[in-house]
Amino acid sequence: MSGCEDAVEYVYQYLDDELTVTRKARIKWHLKRCGVCTDAFQFETSLKEKISESGKSEPPEELFDTLRALIEQERNTGDPDC
Amino acid sequence: MWRLATTLAPMADQVDFESDAMQYAPQLYSAALRMTRNPADAEDVVQETFLKAYRAYDSFTEGTNLKAWLYRILTNTYINKYRKKQRRPSEVELGELQDLYLFKRLGESSGAQISAESQALDMFVDEDIIEALESLPENFRLPVLYADVEGFSYKEIAEILDVPIGTVMSRLHRGRKALQRKLWNLAVEHGLVEPSE
Repeated sequence: MSGCEDAVEYVYQYLDDELTVTRKARIKWHLKRCGVCTDAFQFETSLKEKISESGKSEPPEELFDTLRALIEQERNTGDPDC
Repeated sequence: MWRLATTLAPMADQVDFESDAMQYAPQLYSAALRMTRNPADAEDVVQETFLKAYRAYDSFTEGTNLKAWLYRILTNTYINKYRKKQRRPSEVELGELQDLYLFKRLGESSGAQISAESQALDMFVDEDIIEALESLPENFRLPVLYADVEGFSYKEIAEILDVPIGTVMSRLHRGRKALQRKLWNLAVEHGLVEPSE
Protein backbone atom coordinates (compact mmCIF):
# COMPACT_ATOMS: atom_id res chain seq x y z
CA MET A 1 0.00 0.00 0.00
CA SER A 2 1.31 3.47 -0.82
CA GLY A 3 2.54 5.39 2.18
CA CYS A 4 3.78 2.29 4.00
CA GLU A 5 7.36 2.97 3.01
CA ASP A 6 7.16 6.50 4.34
CA ALA A 7 5.52 5.36 7.56
CA VAL A 8 8.18 2.71 8.20
CA GLU A 9 10.99 5.12 7.40
CA TYR A 10 9.73 7.66 9.91
CA VAL A 11 8.33 5.32 12.55
CA TYR A 12 10.87 6.23 15.24
CA GLN A 13 10.77 9.96 14.56
CA TYR A 14 6.99 9.70 14.77
CA LEU A 15 7.09 7.88 18.11
CA ASP A 16 9.81 10.16 19.46
CA ASP A 17 7.68 13.15 18.47
CA GLU A 18 10.40 14.57 16.24
CA LEU A 19 8.49 15.09 12.99
CA THR A 20 7.23 18.29 11.41
CA VAL A 21 3.48 18.84 11.77
CA THR A 22 2.94 18.19 8.06
CA ARG A 23 4.77 14.88 7.94
CA LYS A 24 3.17 13.76 11.15
CA ALA A 25 -0.28 14.49 9.73
CA ARG A 26 0.56 12.60 6.54
CA ILE A 27 1.61 9.53 8.52
CA LYS A 28 -1.47 9.74 10.74
CA TRP A 29 -3.58 9.84 7.61
CA HIS A 30 -1.86 6.70 6.34
CA LEU A 31 -2.21 4.90 9.66
CA LYS A 32 -5.98 5.45 9.63
CA ARG A 33 -6.09 3.51 6.37
CA CYS A 34 -3.47 0.82 6.88
CA GLY A 35 -3.98 -1.95 9.41
CA VAL A 36 -0.51 -3.44 9.02
CA CYS A 37 1.26 -0.13 9.69
CA THR A 38 -1.11 0.56 12.61
CA ASP A 39 -0.13 -2.81 14.12
CA ALA A 40 3.54 -2.10 13.51
CA PHE A 41 3.31 1.34 15.13
CA GLN A 42 1.42 -0.13 18.07
CA PHE A 43 4.12 -2.76 18.43
CA GLU A 44 6.94 -0.20 18.38
CA THR A 45 5.06 1.94 20.91
CA SER A 46 4.65 -1.01 23.28
CA LEU A 47 8.31 -1.91 22.94
CA LYS A 48 9.38 1.66 23.64
CA GLU A 49 7.22 1.65 26.80
CA LYS A 50 8.72 -1.68 27.86
CA ILE A 51 12.23 -0.31 27.45
CA SER A 52 11.28 2.77 29.42
CA GLU A 53 9.80 0.71 32.25
CA SER A 54 12.82 -1.59 32.46
CA GLY A 55 15.07 1.37 33.22
CA LYS A 56 13.41 2.67 36.36
CA SER A 57 15.17 2.17 39.66
CA GLU A 58 14.95 3.73 43.09
CA PRO A 59 18.04 5.54 44.35
CA PRO A 60 19.46 4.59 47.76
CA GLU A 61 17.69 6.51 50.56
CA GLU A 62 20.82 8.33 51.66
CA LEU A 63 21.66 9.64 48.17
CA PHE A 64 20.39 13.17 48.83
CA ASP A 65 22.19 13.41 52.17
CA THR A 66 25.41 12.12 50.66
CA LEU A 67 25.28 14.66 47.82
CA ARG A 68 24.42 17.55 50.17
CA ALA A 69 27.29 16.63 52.46
CA LEU A 70 29.63 16.42 49.49
CA ILE A 71 28.69 19.89 48.28
CA GLU A 72 28.85 21.30 51.80
CA GLN A 73 32.36 19.91 52.19
CA GLU A 74 33.39 21.31 48.80
CA ARG A 75 31.96 24.71 49.75
CA ASN A 76 33.96 24.82 52.97
CA THR A 77 37.22 23.81 51.35
CA GLY A 78 36.67 26.12 48.37
CA ASP A 79 38.06 29.59 47.80
CA PRO A 80 37.02 31.71 50.83
CA ASP A 81 36.66 34.79 48.61
CA CYS A 82 33.91 33.23 46.53
CA MET B 1 31.22 44.24 41.50
CA TRP B 2 28.87 45.55 38.83
CA ARG B 3 27.62 43.24 36.21
CA LEU B 4 25.79 44.27 33.07
CA ALA B 5 23.05 41.74 33.48
CA THR B 6 21.13 43.05 30.50
CA THR B 7 23.89 42.49 27.99
CA LEU B 8 25.22 39.22 29.31
CA ALA B 9 23.39 35.92 29.65
CA PRO B 10 22.93 35.46 33.41
CA MET B 11 25.34 32.97 34.88
CA ALA B 12 24.16 30.55 37.49
CA ASP B 13 25.12 31.11 41.10
CA GLN B 14 26.78 28.32 43.07
CA VAL B 15 24.56 29.20 46.03
CA ASP B 16 21.54 28.00 44.06
CA PHE B 17 23.16 24.79 42.91
CA GLU B 18 21.53 22.55 45.47
CA SER B 19 18.00 23.81 44.99
CA ASP B 20 18.38 23.77 41.21
CA ALA B 21 20.16 20.47 40.65
CA MET B 22 19.13 18.14 43.48
CA GLN B 23 15.75 17.36 41.91
CA TYR B 24 17.57 15.50 39.12
CA ALA B 25 19.57 13.26 41.47
CA PRO B 26 17.17 10.26 41.34
CA GLN B 27 17.05 10.28 37.52
CA LEU B 28 20.80 10.69 37.26
CA TYR B 29 21.27 7.78 39.64
CA SER B 30 18.90 5.64 37.62
CA ALA B 31 20.79 6.47 34.41
CA ALA B 32 24.13 5.84 36.10
CA LEU B 33 22.92 2.46 37.28
CA ARG B 34 21.94 1.59 33.74
CA MET B 35 25.35 2.63 32.49
CA THR B 36 27.53 1.01 35.14
CA ARG B 37 25.24 -1.94 35.99
CA ASN B 38 26.38 -1.70 39.59
CA PRO B 39 24.86 0.32 42.49
CA ALA B 40 28.19 1.24 44.09
CA ASP B 41 29.64 2.44 40.79
CA ALA B 42 26.42 4.29 40.00
CA GLU B 43 26.67 6.20 43.29
CA ASP B 44 30.32 7.02 42.59
CA VAL B 45 29.46 8.39 39.16
CA VAL B 46 26.59 10.49 40.51
CA GLN B 47 28.74 11.89 43.32
CA GLU B 48 31.52 12.81 40.93
CA THR B 49 28.97 14.34 38.57
CA PHE B 50 27.52 16.54 41.30
CA LEU B 51 30.93 17.63 42.47
CA LYS B 52 32.02 18.58 38.94
CA ALA B 53 28.70 20.28 38.25
CA TYR B 54 28.94 22.28 41.48
CA ARG B 55 32.47 23.42 40.68
CA ALA B 56 31.49 24.39 37.13
CA TYR B 57 28.11 25.87 38.00
CA ASP B 58 29.35 29.42 37.45
CA SER B 59 29.77 28.55 33.79
CA PHE B 60 26.27 27.17 33.38
CA THR B 61 24.06 29.65 31.54
CA GLU B 62 20.81 30.15 33.37
CA GLY B 63 17.72 29.50 31.34
CA THR B 64 19.41 26.81 29.27
CA ASN B 65 18.80 23.11 29.78
CA LEU B 66 20.11 22.19 33.23
CA LYS B 67 18.99 18.58 33.03
CA ALA B 68 20.83 18.04 29.72
CA TRP B 69 23.88 19.83 31.13
CA LEU B 70 23.95 17.47 34.12
CA TYR B 71 23.52 14.43 31.89
CA ARG B 72 26.40 15.60 29.77
CA ILE B 73 28.66 15.72 32.83
CA LEU B 74 27.31 12.34 33.95
CA THR B 75 28.01 10.82 30.54
CA ASN B 76 31.54 12.17 30.36
CA THR B 77 32.26 11.05 33.90
CA TYR B 78 31.02 7.55 33.12
CA ILE B 79 32.93 7.33 29.83
CA ASN B 80 36.20 8.55 31.35
CA LYS B 81 35.88 6.23 34.32
CA TYR B 82 34.59 3.04 32.81
CA ARG B 83 34.66 2.91 29.06
CA LYS B 84 38.40 2.48 28.81
CA LYS B 85 38.12 -0.76 30.72
CA GLN B 86 35.92 -2.55 28.25
CA ARG B 87 36.42 -3.12 24.56
CA ARG B 88 33.08 -3.19 22.89
CA PRO B 89 32.31 -4.18 19.33
CA SER B 90 32.56 -1.38 16.80
CA GLU B 91 29.62 0.07 14.90
CA VAL B 92 30.34 -1.98 11.81
CA GLU B 93 29.69 -5.21 13.64
CA LEU B 94 26.05 -4.30 14.16
CA GLY B 95 25.42 -5.09 10.49
CA GLU B 96 22.47 -4.01 8.41
CA LEU B 97 19.09 -5.14 9.68
CA GLN B 98 15.65 -4.83 8.15
CA ASP B 99 13.20 -2.24 9.49
CA LEU B 100 10.62 -3.38 12.03
CA TYR B 101 12.87 -6.36 12.65
CA LEU B 102 11.13 -7.92 15.66
CA PHE B 103 7.61 -7.13 14.48
CA LYS B 104 8.26 -8.90 11.19
CA ARG B 105 10.00 -11.87 12.78
CA LEU B 106 7.19 -12.40 15.26
CA GLY B 107 4.65 -11.98 12.48
CA GLU B 108 6.31 -14.70 10.42
CA SER B 109 6.55 -17.03 13.37
CA SER B 110 3.00 -16.62 14.64
CA GLY B 111 1.52 -17.27 11.20
CA ALA B 112 -2.18 -16.44 11.04
CA GLN B 113 -2.22 -14.43 14.27
CA ILE B 114 -0.79 -11.36 12.64
CA SER B 115 -2.36 -8.99 15.18
CA ALA B 116 -0.78 -10.74 18.16
CA GLU B 117 2.69 -9.19 17.93
CA SER B 118 2.03 -6.57 20.59
CA GLN B 119 0.82 -9.22 23.03
CA ALA B 120 3.84 -11.30 22.06
CA LEU B 121 5.97 -8.59 23.70
CA ASP B 122 4.58 -9.75 27.05
CA MET B 123 6.83 -12.81 26.87
CA PHE B 124 9.82 -10.53 27.43
CA VAL B 125 10.52 -9.74 31.07
CA ASP B 126 12.54 -6.72 32.26
CA GLU B 127 15.67 -8.86 32.49
CA ASP B 128 15.41 -9.68 28.76
CA ILE B 129 15.08 -6.01 27.86
CA ILE B 130 18.04 -5.15 30.08
CA GLU B 131 20.12 -7.97 28.61
CA ALA B 132 19.28 -6.77 25.09
CA LEU B 133 20.19 -3.18 25.97
CA GLU B 134 23.46 -4.29 27.50
CA SER B 135 24.34 -6.24 24.38
CA LEU B 136 24.50 -2.99 22.39
CA PRO B 137 27.80 -1.24 21.77
CA GLU B 138 28.04 1.86 23.97
CA ASN B 139 27.66 4.28 21.04
CA PHE B 140 24.23 2.82 20.40
CA ARG B 141 23.18 1.96 23.92
CA LEU B 142 23.42 5.50 25.30
CA PRO B 143 21.20 7.13 22.63
CA VAL B 144 18.56 4.41 23.13
CA LEU B 145 18.68 4.87 26.91
CA TYR B 146 18.42 8.64 26.59
CA ALA B 147 15.54 8.54 24.12
CA ASP B 148 13.45 5.72 25.54
CA VAL B 149 14.26 5.66 29.24
CA GLU B 150 15.04 9.33 29.92
CA GLY B 151 12.74 10.79 27.26
CA PHE B 152 15.27 13.29 25.86
CA SER B 153 14.72 14.91 22.48
CA TYR B 154 17.20 14.31 19.65
CA LYS B 155 18.54 17.81 20.14
CA GLU B 156 19.16 17.16 23.83
CA ILE B 157 20.84 13.81 23.12
CA ALA B 158 23.07 15.54 20.57
CA GLU B 159 24.08 18.08 23.25
CA ILE B 160 24.67 15.41 25.88
CA LEU B 161 26.79 13.21 23.63
CA ASP B 162 28.35 16.11 21.73
CA VAL B 163 27.54 14.67 18.30
CA PRO B 164 25.41 16.04 15.44
CA ILE B 165 21.66 15.33 15.46
CA GLY B 166 22.01 13.21 12.31
CA THR B 167 24.41 10.93 14.17
CA VAL B 168 21.95 10.62 17.06
CA MET B 169 19.19 9.61 14.66
CA SER B 170 21.24 7.03 12.82
CA ARG B 171 22.60 5.50 16.04
CA LEU B 172 19.12 5.37 17.53
CA HIS B 173 17.76 3.71 14.43
CA ARG B 174 20.49 1.11 14.23
CA GLY B 175 20.65 0.63 17.98
CA ARG B 176 16.94 -0.09 18.18
CA LYS B 177 17.10 -2.61 15.37
CA ALA B 178 20.06 -4.36 16.98
CA LEU B 179 18.16 -4.45 20.28
CA GLN B 180 15.23 -6.06 18.50
CA ARG B 181 17.48 -8.68 16.95
CA LYS B 182 18.87 -9.49 20.40
CA LEU B 183 15.34 -9.84 21.79
CA TRP B 184 14.44 -12.16 18.94
CA ASN B 185 17.54 -14.26 19.57
CA LEU B 186 16.68 -14.43 23.28
CA ALA B 187 13.15 -15.58 22.45
CA VAL B 188 14.55 -18.29 20.18
CA GLU B 189 17.10 -19.34 22.80
CA HIS B 190 14.43 -19.61 25.48
CA GLY B 191 12.24 -21.64 23.14
CA LEU B 192 9.51 -18.99 23.23
CA VAL B 193 9.20 -18.75 19.45
CA GLU B 194 9.74 -21.05 16.50
CA PRO B 195 11.85 -19.37 13.84
CA SER B 196 10.19 -19.72 10.45
CA GLU B 197 13.30 -20.90 8.58
